[in-house]
Amino acid sequence: MRVQLALLALLGAVLAAGAGAWQLSRIGIHQGYSPAQPIAFPHKVHAGDNQIPCLYCHFAARTSRHAGIPPASVCMNCHNVLEKQTVEIEKLKEAVDLAQPIRWVKVHNLPDFVYFNHSQHVQSGVACQSCHGAVEKMDRVEQVSPLTMGWCLRCHREHAKVPVNDFERAALSLKQKQKPTAGLDCASCHY
Amino acid sequence: MSSTVIRVNGKAPAEVSQHHVPMLPPPVWVDGSPSLRQITDDIARPLEMRPGKGWWICFSIAFAALLNLGGMVSYLFAKGIGIWGLNNSVGWAFDITNFVFWVGIGHAGTLISAILLLFRQQWRTSINRSAEAMTIFAVMCAGMFPAIHMGRPWDAFFIFPYFPNQRGPLWVNFRSPLVWDVFAISTYLTISLVFWYLGMIPDLATLRDRAAGGIKKFVFHILSLGWSGSQRTWSRYEIVSLVLAGLATSLVLSVHSIVSMDFATSLLPGWHTTIFPPYFVAGAIYSGFGMVLTLLIITRYTMNLQNYITLRHLDKMAKVTMLTGMIVSYAYLTEFFSAWYGGNLYERYHFINRATGPYAWCFYLMVLCNVVTPQLLWFRKARTSVVFLFAVSILVNIGMWFERFVIIVVSLHRAFLPSGWGMFYPTVFDVGILVGSFGLFFTCFLLFIRFLPMIAMWEIKGVVGHGAHKMALSSQEQEEPVSV
Amino acid sequence: MSDSDSHGHYASCKSAKERLVQIQPQEAPAYWKSVAELQNGPRSSGEFPGGLPAAGQSGTTRRDFLALMGFTLAAAGLSGCRAPVQNAIPLLVGSDQFVPGVANWYATTCRGCAASCSLLAKQRDGRPIKIEGNAESSLFGGGTCATGQAMVLSLYDDERLRGPLWQGQPAGWEELDRRVAESVATAKAGSGSIVLLSGTINSPSTRAIISEWRASHPNFLHVEYDATSLSAMRAANQESFGLAVVPHYALDRARVIVGLDADFLGTWLSPVEFTRQYANGRKPEDAPSLHIQFESGMSVTGSNADLRIAVAQSDLGPVAAALLARIARRGGHAGIGPIEDPIDSRKLDAVAEQLWKHRGESLVISGCNDVTVQIVVNTLNVMLGNIGKIIDLTRPSLQRNGDDQAMSDLVEKMNRGEVHTLFMLGVNPAYDYHDPARFLSGLEKVPLSVSFSDRRDETSSHVHAVCPDHHFLEAWGDAEPVATHFSLAQPLIAPLFGTRSAQESLLKWLGHEPADYYTYLRDYWQKNIFRRQRGVPDFQSFWDRSLQEGLVVLPLLHPATEPRIQGNWRAAVHSIREDQAKHRQAGSADRYELDLYESVALRDGRHANNPWLQELPDPISKVTWGNCAAIAPATAAKLKLTDGDVVRLRTVTQQIEVPIFIQPGQHAQTISVALGHGRNKVGRAGQNVGVNAYPLLRVKDGYRLLSAREVTLEKTGRSEKLATTQTHFSMEGRPIVLETSLEELHQSSEVGIEPALPTLWAARPEGEHAWGMAIDMNACTGCSACVVACQAENNVPVVGKDQIERIRIMHWIRLDRYYSGPEEDPVAVHQPMMCQHCQNAPCETVCPVLATTTSSEGLNQQVYNRCIGTRYCANNCPYKVRRFNWYNYTDNPQFDFNMESPLGRMVLNPDVAVRSRGVMEKCSMCVQRIQLAKNVALQGRRELADGDIQTACQQACPTQAIVFGDLKEPNSRVAQLQHSQRRYQVLDELGTRPNVSYLKKVRNPVRTT
Repeated sequence: MRVQLALLALLGAVLAAGAGAWQLSRIGIHQGYSPAQPIAFPHKVHAGDNQIPCLYCHFAARTSRHAGIPPASVCMNCHNVLEKQTVEIEKLKEAVDLAQPIRWVKVHNLPDFVYFNHSQHVQSGVACQSCHGAVEKMDRVEQVSPLTMGWCLRCHREHAKVPVNDFERAALSLKQKQKPTAGLDCASCHY
Repeated sequence: MSSTVIRVNGKAPAEVSQHHVPMLPPPVWVDGSPSLRQITDDIARPLEMRPGKGWWICFSIAFAALLNLGGMVSYLFAKGIGIWGLNNSVGWAFDITNFVFWVGIGHAGTLISAILLLFRQQWRTSINRSAEAMTIFAVMCAGMFPAIHMGRPWDAFFIFPYFPNQRGPLWVNFRSPLVWDVFAISTYLTISLVFWYLGMIPDLATLRDRAAGGIKKFVFHILSLGWSGSQRTWSRYEIVSLVLAGLATSLVLSVHSIVSMDFATSLLPGWHTTIFPPYFVAGAIYSGFGMVLTLLIITRYTMNLQNYITLRHLDKMAKVTMLTGMIVSYAYLTEFFSAWYGGNLYERYHFINRATGPYAWCFYLMVLCNVVTPQLLWFRKARTSVVFLFAVSILVNIGMWFERFVIIVVSLHRAFLPSGWGMFYPTVFDVGILVGSFGLFFTCFLLFIRFLPMIAMWEIKGVVGHGAHKMALSSQEQEEPVSV
Repeated sequence: MSDSDSHGHYASCKSAKERLVQIQPQEAPAYWKSVAELQNGPRSSGEFPGGLPAAGQSGTTRRDFLALMGFTLAAAGLSGCRAPVQNAIPLLVGSDQFVPGVANWYATTCRGCAASCSLLAKQRDGRPIKIEGNAESSLFGGGTCATGQAMVLSLYDDERLRGPLWQGQPAGWEELDRRVAESVATAKAGSGSIVLLSGTINSPSTRAIISEWRASHPNFLHVEYDATSLSAMRAANQESFGLAVVPHYALDRARVIVGLDADFLGTWLSPVEFTRQYANGRKPEDAPSLHIQFESGMSVTGSNADLRIAVAQSDLGPVAAALLARIARRGGHAGIGPIEDPIDSRKLDAVAEQLWKHRGESLVISGCNDVTVQIVVNTLNVMLGNIGKIIDLTRPSLQRNGDDQAMSDLVEKMNRGEVHTLFMLGVNPAYDYHDPARFLSGLEKVPLSVSFSDRRDETSSHVHAVCPDHHFLEAWGDAEPVATHFSLAQPLIAPLFGTRSAQESLLKWLGHEPADYYTYLRDYWQKNIFRRQRGVPDFQSFWDRSLQEGLVVLPLLHPATEPRIQGNWRAAVHSIREDQAKHRQAGSADRYELDLYESVALRDGRHANNPWLQELPDPISKVTWGNCAAIAPATAAKLKLTDGDVVRLRTVTQQIEVPIFIQPGQHAQTISVALGHGRNKVGRAGQNVGVNAYPLLRVKDGYRLLSAREVTLEKTGRSEKLATTQTHFSMEGRPIVLETSLEELHQSSEVGIEPALPTLWAARPEGEHAWGMAIDMNACTGCSACVVACQAENNVPVVGKDQIERIRIMHWIRLDRYYSGPEEDPVAVHQPMMCQHCQNAPCETVCPVLATTTSSEGLNQQVYNRCIGTRYCANNCPYKVRRFNWYNYTDNPQFDFNMESPLGRMVLNPDVAVRSRGVMEKCSMCVQRIQLAKNVALQGRRELADGDIQTACQQACPTQAIVFGDLKEPNSRVAQLQHSQRRYQVLDELGTRPNVSYLKKVRNPVRTT
């Protein structure tokens, strides 16, 4: 009897410890973070229903480390000519008229000490969705991925090919033209 | 061991000895052949009455030092390692010196209780308990330094392979001696702790039985794990202690060997030496015995236990100190010889610099304490003069601290590129934290002698006259004739 | 936008919003801060500015556009597991020229000194963050000097004035313009003259403005004044050739260079240009030039000479004369009497021998501001036939126009009350004039004094009006450093403060409406420069191209006529002889001579508030934060002085107290003290650091000699700690800097790489590249440009005097300087030392947490966020190149330098993490540049080419001593250099297998016996 109780207690303790450790290890991870935005911009309508390519608005992602939130002027490219009016679009136009930048709330926040470059990934043919999820189905953008180093590495490991001999190296640099390899060196992201 | 025997034949000691003297000279390690009850009383006294003035004075000093440690470490965490005297040339100084110093101290305990147990050295019985306690406190002090010497102590957990780990499989560097240290030290602490506690159980039971009642009784009740003192308990108990002794013995050698590899595996002239492991172990035992001497000489006075910690004990310890001291001296010679004989430019410069450079005074202090001093112990007079032994033991401690300082700082301050040379000057925080670590150590030790039996009653009862004949049978080799 | 340190709050974001809501063009500068945060946002905390004082109105459309680039990442603290609220504020109006996070480069011209090097400045989201040399420039190449590299930090100097001052009180531009206009009007009417006192001005458009003044105001006077001037040389050339100019030298064409106390590799005239030429002329593989240097104190130039002869200041003239005597004898010129040789005659014979052997391709340069010496030197060059070949008088240098006599005359005029209105542009006489009291008393008598200084310095705090000029990175401008070589300067950022370019002010007071310097400049170029060139038909495209390239070289206006020697050089020799005799009588053992020299970092003192330069170790003494008196070892022993003992140096009238530094190679009777220190009104960093030695300098017939005689030395008994970064100067016979001789080099031929030592480690998987570096010890002059370049590129913090005394400097690259040979006449070497990126890195095996590892591309990578700071790696590094963050150096009041202030942090490179307290850091071989280049190659769908990647140190090096590249690419320069027979690796016997290799220094000794 006593023994069983003891074992039970032990089991409980172990489980509790495990749960605790898991929680600790999740500190600073904001998966599922989905803040309200000053203008309720529906990606669903733009990227989904109207099939606007991501890089039309987030043009910076092609060449810069920042994907960049499009300037209001980019929105106005279309909304100047579209007569559809909603409260949200009113907000946008007001902002433009008042020459007042829009304070969007950032959804995906990387840690301070890692260097991430959008263009590198876009140029390597990584789909936006593979990190940001199916944004085109979202009304309000949500952080889908944990954005942890482990999560980054899972993908990098798949696409990393560290050649060991000259032949492989030659083969690789041929392949490079089409598909670059992901770095596994610390210095690929940390500097 | 023999306690069982003692308990069964409750005859008067006189008869026993009479009966057996022709057979064997009885090994007696307690003076004034006190009765068994007397022994228990003597040893339990400090625990059951209010501590004397002496204890309070020592304790307040030690505790003050401990508070100072707390303050300075907090400031260290708040400001950064910059408050120490370290610099680009000398990245380690007092921090790691203290670490190695305290680990070294920690060696005597296990050596005494484990190795001497295996060798059936009866004289260990009256000192092993406090030596083990000392070990544990010393290792605590030692363990503190690697933690606080980190630039980012809040990330200290990085040095353990932990799970779950959101950074993807991310391991520690198993090639790094610092990682080996982590395992070595923690193992050592655990084993010593277990060994110490196990050894105390019968005495805790005694105290439980003596306790009038209330919280004290309850605590001892819990701690003694329902010790009954039955025949079966005793026999199993002794097997366990033997097994643990076997485990601990290997640790005595492993721990300081691994600590020495922090230096031996690096390529710095003065560090990159193959003789470090044995050299460090010898040094550790040397310093450990030094510290045991210091402690016991103090306590046997403050707790007036002269009868239990006799001059003969001190004499034995002095001999061990001398032996290990000479091993250390030999190591010093070897270092210089190989530096000259090896003909390595940097190595050679380093040892010339050690003896003639800006830190030469540390080197000569070290030689004085670790090479010259032990030689005085050849004389029985020296070994039996308490005052002299006390002085020696202090010198030994100083010498061993400086040995580590010389190895670490002197090697670092003039390494390969002369452009990178620089001097280390300690700041008040370096010194303060060193003093503080002594505060921590002595606070713990004073609390120990206040609340726990500092001499293994059940063991020492085996080496008073009563159990002499049984003891003689259980003992494999001759004890030297008692000289009183 | 946020108070941008990690514990930012919503509150701050709100307050930010308030500021955001009203955006009007004139509010624009409020956005600079946010732009700063744009790139910094995701980086380490505490890095971004929390706000800037408002700036003045900005004119051009580009500025408006830049101003509109609001984009903010306001970091609100990550408290526990709560999601951090960060805001992202995009541009209102996008632009295809500007992509957030992508750097633009603009060509401009350096104003760090009058040498006016051509620059390329890196602008990241509207923030200049890095300066590099303009490789297009035929004069300066892609290199820069340490000072030039640091100029970008002086833009973000907190001490800069926020707007104009009247009587020390903030005032409006209108008010000032009114007052000045009145004063000028009265002056024009009255007798008092209007004076513009300026440093050397080689901006053609500015000179045009000045001549407009001269034209419209008969009593206008323009005086050019340099703290360290070459006016004696101009006078001498006037006498010798009838041309009052500073010639333009071609050191690369000279086979023999004899320097008389001219530190042309350090500070003299145009160091970047000379350093480049010098190195080109001394490539050991082909016939290197021979360099002999006569000087009193050890200078950068002297430390590179093949033969360095220490002479007293007073003997420089006699040495020149003695050389002239020998050359004249050989040349068959009569009329030079016997001259007693001031030094060992055999040495002089040897030097004369070499000069004569290379007639027509040799060069004698003197830095003495003494007409007689300069005349003798001219004569030497004429007799050797160097004029026109090595020395170009037809295309003179315009980099030093100061006129000492005009200056002293002006001071007298001022004291006589004949100056009514005084403008001061780029000068600080109250600090660097030899008689500041006299100048200030004169200044008091001037009814209206105006300074264009950017801060309240020694001078501008005594004037009526301060009209702060732009920093050159905020301003339009142009320059003509050498005749027919023009360069343009353009703004990279809207003015941070309410400053106004001096030219604009001058135009306004001249009555131009609108007084817009940009238009004026453009017109000037259209009228003058554009006309003189043939290449481009229409001005617009010419202008665009010039702006893009930053420089234009025009043909000479009129064909040059070879100047003939005239003037009586024998008289000069005679007076030198007399002077020598006079000095001999006066001289005695306890009378010393003083040798004052421009400090390599601070130059004449104008950069004293730049913490990067204050912390830059002097290339020779390795002393930072202050100057000291260099004393010969023998003298120090005689006087029982040791480093840091404070002594009192007393001339007839003046005295200073300065700590001594025992300098091998110092002339026994001469004491050298650096100028440019001891500013007492300059700003927090430079305030009262070191001692001002200008008052000691001696004026000889109107010329400021940077020396003094009859100096007595008294002990004060006090002693200071010198903040040196290197305390031991001997190599202790260790194989660290290897040397070879020219013969040896030319005998043997190329050799392969010797096989590396065996290793026990398993081979590590190799990537596509193997980054490596080769450093030519023969090309490195120790100029230290690389140190500051690295600091700027990699956000290396400044730690201050106290920390350097504790040996805690943070520089990632250092220049080790070793001496060999006798103390009184040593041979010096400079060795750049940074992380060697070992393949078997000792640091790597000992790190318990794998915070430092070797990458598949051979980089030794340091991961800051993994580092727990055990410092084991630093202990085990045989090169001692690892740097530990002993404290938090960012945003920490204890370290009140640029990284403490929000403004100063604007200089940080957003692509490099700012390290926090308790982590180890070191040279990363500019991995951010490597990654960027890879990314660019990827975007262009091409392979990386050799030269795509330049590390910051490599880029800054004027002599291209540092070569970086891919060792796996057999044709890359660095791979080629691996086969050089000069190649070796430092401490490779330890089996570290460094990726950095060195090329041995080549010795080419002059036989003097």
